Amino acid sequence: MTELTIAMPKGRIFTEACKILENAGFQLPEDMEDTRKLMIEIPEENIRFILAKPMDVPVYVEHGVADIGIAGKDVLLEQQRTILELLDLKISACYIASAGLPNTIMNEVAPRIATKYPHIATKYYKEIGEQVEIIELNGSIELAPMIGLADRIVDIVSTGRTLKENGLVEYERIADVSSRLIANPVSYRLKSMRIRDLVSRLRKCVE
Amino acid sequence: MSTIKLFEKPLGMRDTFPQTYEKLEAIREKGRHFLYAHGYDFIKTPSVEYYDTVGKASAIDDASLFKLVDNQGNMLVLRPDMTTPIARIATAKLLKEKIPQRLAYFASVFRAQQTEGGRPAEFEQMGIELIGDSSVFADAEVIMTAIQLLQQLGVEAFTLTIGHARVLQAILQQYTANDKQMNVLRQLLVERNYVGFEEAVKSFGLPKENSVILLQFIEEAVNVKSVLNIEKYVVNQNELTYMYELEQLLKQANLIDYITFDFTLASHMNYYTGMLFEVFAAGSGFPLGNGGRYDGLLAHFGSEVGATGFGLRVDRLLEVVQVRESILATALLLFEPALYNEALKCANNLRIDGRRVTMQAISSLTNVAAYKAQFSEVIYLNPADYGIQEEGQQ
Repeated sequence: MTELTIAMPKGRIFTEACKILENAGFQLPEDMEDTRKLMIEIPEENIRFILAKPMDVPVYVEHGVADIGIAGKDVLLEQQRTILELLDLKISACYIASAGLPNTIMNEVAPRIATKYPHIATKYYKEIGEQVEIIELNGSIELAPMIGLADRIVDIVSTGRTLKENGLVEYERIADVSSRLIANPVSYRLKSMRIRDLVSRLRKCVE
Repeated sequence: MSTIKLFEKPLGMRDTFPQTYEKLEAIREKGRHFLYAHGYDFIKTPSVEYYDTVGKASAIDDASLFKLVDNQGNMLVLRPDMTTPIARIATAKLLKEKIPQRLAYFASVFRAQQTEGGRPAEFEQMGIELIGDSSVFADAEVIMTAIQLLQQLGVEAFTLTIGHARVLQAILQQYTANDKQMNVLRQLLVERNYVGFEEAVKSFGLPKENSVILLQFIEEAVNVKSVLNIEKYVVNQNELTYMYELEQLLKQANLIDYITFDFTLASHMNYYTGMLFEVFAAGSGFPLGNGGRYDGLLAHFGSEVGATGFGLRVDRLLEVVQVRESILATALLLFEPALYNEALKCANNLRIDGRRVTMQAISSLTNVAAYKAQFSEVIYLNPADYGIQEEGQQ
């Protein structure tokens, strides 16, 4: 059995991702969630997990140092990497939307959009024919319209609570997001038996 | 912008240091020898071509072209691939002399610079083009040559995935309602986005049996051991017969173990008209190369003859191929200035025997011991042996 390296996203998605793997019949160590190790070997399954920032999972997979990975669709849309999108795991479902202060219109001269998804935001506004200026932020995006940095934000919304508590309203829904199983194109060919087996096991758990 | 530091080179450009150079040269030599022996003639084309001819016709995305302007205001490109310049020469000249043409190349190609690592702006490609033969034998020859070349280069674990542009096209067309839907699906397959494919099929509102067939096809056709496994989906029987013949030829050549068929394989290059394939090898996270039948490109240059070929990325081969360390040991011949004549003779004799010899005047070395340590063998011509008085030597 060839060894499989799986890139897992740390943080929000991690617990759900582990659960779905366990449901698919993989033996994961109990302390997987608490450990501070970044690489975990599971010799019984001949699997190696690497724990990466969600934004970095597609990087490891594209370069082939991880054969497969679990990544949010938001990250995939933002980075446009050459990877295979194999399966919608239907976990951590949310969506990307634009939001702003209620009852406002965008600045006519140079509407500004704050986001941590500059690529998605640029593409979206281009498609609807709005010329905007993008301001890239790394977090607490909701602050931007409140304090007057931007007219709109483009960010992921799961419950809408953060928006509400900061007095923002949603304007347009841009794309649905959930976690996806992704694969490196070379690994997909050279380890096709293992990867296809994994996909079919996971598919059963998803449905 | 910050000033450029002295050590810097333009983004995406790489230096080739001696050790890598030797490895590269070993690959080039083996490849050239192999392809030449298979009847392929090597050619060279200019590094710079017109945007309007090669640039526009090239399969490489416009945004990835390296563009320049000449002093007459014409837009130029650094050649982004070798297939397009070769199609240009073949249609303009070579095909009038001999048909079919078997051409080979080993050359640098250029892509627009990208900030992320692992994406060089200049890299070498090695490949062949077989122009003027539309038969299945030509396609089989190209695939066999690719496999045997990889074997020759000592690539251990590799696989070729073969598909067919028109088989896929016909199936997508048959089970979708219009061309727009078909193109959406095709694009999703180019991106290898199977999740998107499934979502798109469900969103089209197609008759239930069509959706089911499309989804089943994607699941099954990704990895088939024999062409006949997908017979039930196929609309155009001729193309399938062609692929079956190809499979039989590869079986006869005993190369079928290196091959899987993937009928969902689609390329962003729309000039691929027939079979197409990708090469994957353990040791590189990126495909090693690709190939296929590109009659459409020849048509672009005004010729109706068929063409097929493949190209391998040498920068990725370098990661995958194991080359034995330093093929030739180097001897250091240290000489005293007074013994220059004798040293010349000695070096000459050694070189005639096929030895690699570095000649170095001892007087210009600051650290003799450190320099000596770099060589496997050191020959020192002792002045005493030649009846010359030693002076100033420690």
